[in-house]
Amino acid sequence: MSFLLPKLTSKKEVDQAIKSTAEKVLVLRFGRDEDPVCLQLDDILSKTSSDLSKMAAIYLVDVDRTPVYTHYFDISYIPSTVFFFNGQHMKVDYGSPDHTKFVGSFKTKQDFIDLIEVIYRGAMRGKLIVQSPIDPKNIPKYDLLYQDI
Amino acid sequence: MAPAQRCPLCRQTFFCGRGHVYSRKHQRQLKAALERLLPQVEAARKAVRAAQVERYVPEHERRCWCLCCGCEVRKHLSHGNLTVLHGGLLEHLASPEHKKATNRFWWENKAEFQMKEKFLISPQDYARFKKSMVKGLDTYEEKEDEVIKEMAAQIREVEHSRQELVRSVLEPQAVADPEDGSSALGGWKGTNSLVASTSQQPSSVDLPPTPELDWMETGQPLTFIGHQDTPGIGNIHSGATPPWMVQDEEHSSVNQQIGPSYEEFLKEKEKQKLKKLPPDRVGANFDHSSSTSVGWLPSFGRVWNNGRRWQSRHQFKTEAAARNKQQSHREKKPSVS
Repeated sequence: MSFLLPKLTSKKEVDQAIKSTAEKVLVLRFGRDEDPVCLQLDDILSKTSSDLSKMAAIYLVDVDRTPVYTHYFDISYIPSTVFFFNGQHMKVDYGSPDHTKFVGSFKTKQDFIDLIEVIYRGAMRGKLIVQSPIDPKNIPKYDLLYQDI
Repeated sequence: MAPAQRCPLCRQTFFCGRGHVYSRKHQRQLKAALERLLPQVEAARKAVRAAQVERYVPEHERRCWCLCCGCEVRKHLSHGNLTVLHGGLLEHLASPEHKKATNRFWWENKAEFQMKEKFLISPQDYARFKKSMVKGLDTYEEKEDEVIKEMAAQIREVEHSRQELVRSVLEPQAVADPEDGSSALGGWKGTNSLVASTSQQPSSVDLPPTPELDWMETGQPLTFIGHQDTPGIGNIHSGATPPWMVQDEEHSSVNQQIGPSYEEFLKEKEKQKLKKLPPDRVGANFDHSSSTSVGWLPSFGRVWNNGRRWQSRHQFKTEAAARNKQQSHREKKPSVS
């Protein structure tokens, strides 16, 4: 499952991925391979990756290996998925407090596919923030930790 | 009802008596008429300061209709060969009859009081205009003098070059120095058109052939670089293969292709596809192949940042520096104690 998707292990590799993905949504899953929720998410990602191959490029990033990005992206819950397009970060309003990343796993494959499509269309129109098509019931709930507590 | 009256401004008959003047239609007509007249007056007013004197041209016979007096007035003042622009109109505007007529017009048509001043020229302004007119005349005269002087200088130059040409023709032996020859020829070429156009056609026809023969005979002799006659290799006359058709030893392999290689062709195809994408998509001008430093961070709108998205990187870097400082501080402490 997670061995089907390409992995990034250093900051340099992540930079390389961000810079080199052209005209496709870049999906970076931050988490640990052993974590159960991550396993769920990785399952969905790998099963949909071939269908979305023309719209998205999916990579898995280990949070312990890239501390810089873990701090920069404020990853406090895993798995967290961050979306990029042409080197620019895409924000998505899921109805949750954090718009910069998707926290948790998706309920169905279709949710993920829909989300990718919405992000792709928004990016093609020049929008940096899009509205998520996923039903708010299916979005995992979490508490956003206040900074420095 | 009131008697039938004709309003010349609206060009209509009305029965309202004095009320017509206050109607919307009349005021509109009035405004339009005044707007038509205003630019002329403004142009004339500008001429008060800087009167322009020009040479007379039939266009200066134009007349302008003065709305208040109800008469045609000559716009420009001309005398003999010269014209002062807007002189006529200014003269009319400064006259007392025009002032009376303007007052009557304003009263009868109930126009705006402030506008009236714009259409009048005071006698002081007229005096100022007269002064600037005199100045303008002076400058015009000076300009004319200058032009005449320039023309005289030109004619003198032409004469001079012609004299030189005649001299050079009469002394063929002295023209051995190439510099002299080329300058005489340069002068000859330049003045050839003038010479032909001004006068003396037969003499100009005579002059060209003789200097040409001179130049061909007494010019610098050509440098001789030897007979190009190698017995083995043929040349163009013997019909040998031209050098560019001869196969070079290195390029005889089949791998050498002319034009772009296959990879370049594929890249071109990709670029064509890119052109079809919408130009205002996110990151359209993102340079994918630019090399970035080790500390590069992508543009990320962080969760806890104050300020705009592109400042989040900066904020992160300052926070990271502060955290590192704190950490090194903490590390130092146990070693001290």
